[in-house]
Amino acid sequence: MTVGPTVAGGLKLVPETDHDWMLLIGIAGDSDSDLAGRLAGLMDEDSMWDEIVAPELAEEFSKQRIKVVKEVMRAKEEDGDIYILKGSVDIWYGALNQARLALEDKYKFGAREEVDPKIFEDPSVRAAYFRNNFYSHVQGLLLQYVMVD
Amino acid sequence: MNAVDAPAHEGQTRTKKKSDKPWQVVVLDDPVNLMEYVSRVLTNIFGFSTEKAKELMMAVHQKGRAVVWVGNREKAEMYVNQLHSAQLHATLDRAE
Repeated sequence: MTVGPTVAGGLKLVPETDHDWMLLIGIAGDSDSDLAGRLAGLMDEDSMWDEIVAPELAEEFSKQRIKVVKEVMRAKEEDGDIYILKGSVDIWYGALNQARLALEDKYKFGAREEVDPKIFEDPSVRAAYFRNNFYSHVQGLLLQYVMVD
Repeated sequence: MNAVDAPAHEGQTRTKKKSDKPWQVVVLDDPVNLMEYVSRVLTNIFGFSTEKAKELMMAVHQKGRAVVWVGNREKAEMYVNQLHSAQLHATLDRAE
């Protein structure tokens, strides 16, 4: 897959293999639907965060995942490239972040310099680690080239 | 005249003083959110300068948490809601 900035101020993803398409479709699959609940767990009971705020956030996060999957599927059907423009960058960044937060919650990778080499012995964990790095790399490019004022 | 100026009894004064403590919005460190993103979110939500946002982001990163705002509970909850919407780990605490 090739990923790079466009002259229009966006980011272009060019999937080249089936594996690339699976990787992008997997953004939503790596995410979980409980991020809003986990964030609510940081609040005290008086706030009633679970009842009032978390459902709204869960819906917002769900919309991000659905939008990204739809864009990837549409591009796949048309055998085209994927463009992330300023107007949708927050949705893409959010969906990638959800995937990374869920992977971190599941595998506890920690900071990159602290990763235990033993994780690479398990193929599924190793694959998750590299997906996490890919998502992080795309986020970095979004920050550098698209989320600029 | 308020309860602090003319307390009906000692217990009422203590209650009033406790409830007068402001709330603080605390951002917590996590290994996922990118440093530049955290600075950007702090700037967008609180209107901090780039330098101030970066300073607070580094405090989160190095100390594990940083107080980014202090004030009344209602507004503090609004800010935490915005921080959660940006997927940052944040909570409320009573100010010291």
